[in-house]
Amino acid sequence: MIKLPPIHIGKLSLLLAILVWLALLFVDLVRLIGVLNQLESGIAVEFTWILQTLYFICVYGFYKYSINKSSQSDFLNLIWRGASTGIFAVAIFVIIDLFKSSLGQSKLAKDPFLDTFFYHVEFGLITIFVISTALLWQHLILYQKSKRIVKQWQAYEIAMLISMFVVFFDRGNPEYTFFFSLALLGILGTILSANLKWIPYLTFKEKWKSLLFLAIIIFSIAYLIWNTYVSTEDIITPVNLSGSLFILALFWFILVYAVLSFLVTLFNLPTSSVFEQKLTEAINFQRLSQSIQPEENEEEVLDILMDSCMSAAYADAAWLEMTSEEFPDGFTQERFIDRKTREEISELIQHNKTVQDWASEKRPDNLSPITLKVINPKYESLLLVPLVINKSVFGKIVLCKEVRDGFNKEMLNIISTFARQACIAVENHRLLNQAILNERYQEELKIAQRVQKSLLPTQLDHNQNFDICAYSNAADEVGGDYYDTYKLDEDRYVLIIGDVSGKGTSAAFHMSQMKGIFQSLIQLNLSPSDFMIKANSALSKCLERNHFITASIFIINTAQQTICHSRAGHVPTLFHQKSLNKSEYLQIDGLGLGILRNMQYEKHVVEKTFTYQSGDALVLFTDGIVEAKNEKSQQFGFERIRTLLEVYHELSPQEIQTKIIDSLHAFVGGDRLIDDDYSMMVVKFT
Amino acid sequence: MLTIETLQENGHDILFLKGEVDASNSVILDEAITKLVTAGSSSILVDGTGLEYISSAGLGVFMSYLEDFQEKEIDLKIYSLSDRVFEVFKILGLDQLMQIYPDKKTALLA
Repeated sequence: MIKLPPIHIGKLSLLLAILVWLALLFVDLVRLIGVLNQLESGIAVEFTWILQTLYFICVYGFYKYSINKSSQSDFLNLIWRGASTGIFAVAIFVIIDLFKSSLGQSKLAKDPFLDTFFYHVEFGLITIFVISTALLWQHLILYQKSKRIVKQWQAYEIAMLISMFVVFFDRGNPEYTFFFSLALLGILGTILSANLKWIPYLTFKEKWKSLLFLAIIIFSIAYLIWNTYVSTEDIITPVNLSGSLFILALFWFILVYAVLSFLVTLFNLPTSSVFEQKLTEAINFQRLSQSIQPEENEEEVLDILMDSCMSAAYADAAWLEMTSEEFPDGFTQERFIDRKTREEISELIQHNKTVQDWASEKRPDNLSPITLKVINPKYESLLLVPLVINKSVFGKIVLCKEVRDGFNKEMLNIISTFARQACIAVENHRLLNQAILNERYQEELKIAQRVQKSLLPTQLDHNQNFDICAYSNAADEVGGDYYDTYKLDEDRYVLIIGDVSGKGTSAAFHMSQMKGIFQSLIQLNLSPSDFMIKANSALSKCLERNHFITASIFIINTAQQTICHSRAGHVPTLFHQKSLNKSEYLQIDGLGLGILRNMQYEKHVVEKTFTYQSGDALVLFTDGIVEAKNEKSQQFGFERIRTLLEVYHELSPQEIQTKIIDSLHAFVGGDRLIDDDYSMMVVKFT
Repeated sequence: MLTIETLQENGHDILFLKGEVDASNSVILDEAITKLVTAGSSSILVDGTGLEYISSAGLGVFMSYLEDFQEKEIDLKIYSLSDRVFEVFKILGLDQLMQIYPDKKTALLA
């Protein structure tokens, strides 16, 4: 397989253009020989016209490709390309003229072959210049593309293409068709020339440069036109090449566009700083509205705000004052102003009545920047810009100008917009940070909740002589209720239920301490009252002064069918005796743990042993159940629980528990939450 | 909701509690008592006529002053508690440690 090398359009069209130009030169020279020798060369004039048209198309192809390729749409570069081509063409023209005049009256000067050669060189250069410049103008015209402009340009290109062939019809003699077409193309070119939207985007300096380049182009066009059409010397040319409609129309177009661009650029010079200013403002606004990333500092936004405000108002100096709690000493940032001057002006501001009225505005949302006149050796006018977040002023920016009444309405408008936007960015930043922090707390609480759940036993120790179940619910994520079991030996089991004062996280911590104390002390085989005394002394060292824990402990001996019980300030336990068919609260004194933190506690704890029979039941619970309130503020109370057990004592522990909890929820009301931790443990002897 | 009014009467400072004492407002009660102590009061009476409910956090406040008052020989007496509120004190065992009276008269006599 022969692999064709990739076709390089630029190089190909350049090569073709050169070949066509040489062919054109050759054909015309041959014809010249014919004319001089009065011989019929046999080459039809159409042949020249075809070559001419081909040359136009090749040059067009080359420039179209090369301009598109180097599409640095930098306007100055484009105009410079046009200008440099113009300089080059003019230079060659001048050299040819100089060469001709240096020949003087010699025979060579009159040589028609040399004339024809120069004529072709000049024609080639003119074509290159007009086509390349026209294509550069195309880029400028289509800078802000709209469908209409693109259509117009396409129409103009088609018209220009047609104009290349007009010569075949009028056979080189300009007639009405020629002039009519020229006028039409001229109008089209003029209409296109109204598209000068690229000019405002030039900076002040760029405008000056483009004026220079445009002047060069205009000069080149003028020189080339003058040289080609006006100062016509009597040279014998076999065929008129540069009189082509295509070249003439293009000349008109590039001239009109260059002149218009020159004038518009010139008249845009004085206002260009305003346009630049607006552009900077738009960019600043965009920078301010970009939300701050969580890890970034809000001071950066305030920095941008300061810069934006200063440039919008052409301020000579400025400072920023923060009055928020984060900066108790008052955070300040100074720009082009020293501390002493700032303090002097601050003093002036504070004693100004307008400012005092302004600062006492009830609704800070409505605050807008105000201007002030001050008497200070350096600055004569001030602008106060409030920074408002969440309906409170958290700071202000003071802009200073050396001139009197230096702030106009437009500046005030744009600055208050800047300030509002910056405040929104700061506020969003703060909210986002807060949200992230909250999220983390939520995560921590979830972990706490999981850890705490694991502190409550999943398996409750018991043997075949009794059944047991338990339930616990925390009002918050974590709670202070505690229950546990422990197997002393085959016949002896310990049950404990406890309640830490308060609720929430602090209660949860103390609850875990209680678990540790129970699990370690109970292994010492203590009696219930000894356990309470030891637990009290242990807790005395780690509980906060205003916290205490209540607990009830039971040691069940299934061999002897006895229960030994001690109570430390905990709500009494309900005991159902099947033989009496009666439920009653176990009456026993006892002081909460952590209330008396000395040996005195021993006097306040007692223990009691009683027997049980098969079918008897124990219900241990915490005060969350007793104190749960309905919408009438009535408490669930001890009596309801007692009645429930009397009714349902036949059921299994799990069923009894469900009955009590369901009844509790029904009492409180379906949607209402019980705002305390509550737990219960039900034991039934078999 | 909890409102506390203080009144000075014959060298006694009387605190009138109205409403409910729970975890959210027990601090108010604590502050009221601390204020009297720093002011140099030697006899504090708590009138519980208007007290509808006291949670463990509220009991914690009274409890935290027990030893302190014993040392400084400050009298703290509570009277006119409703049955329901007194029951809470009693269950915890505070009735054995604190001076709780059925009414103001008996409190002053004791």
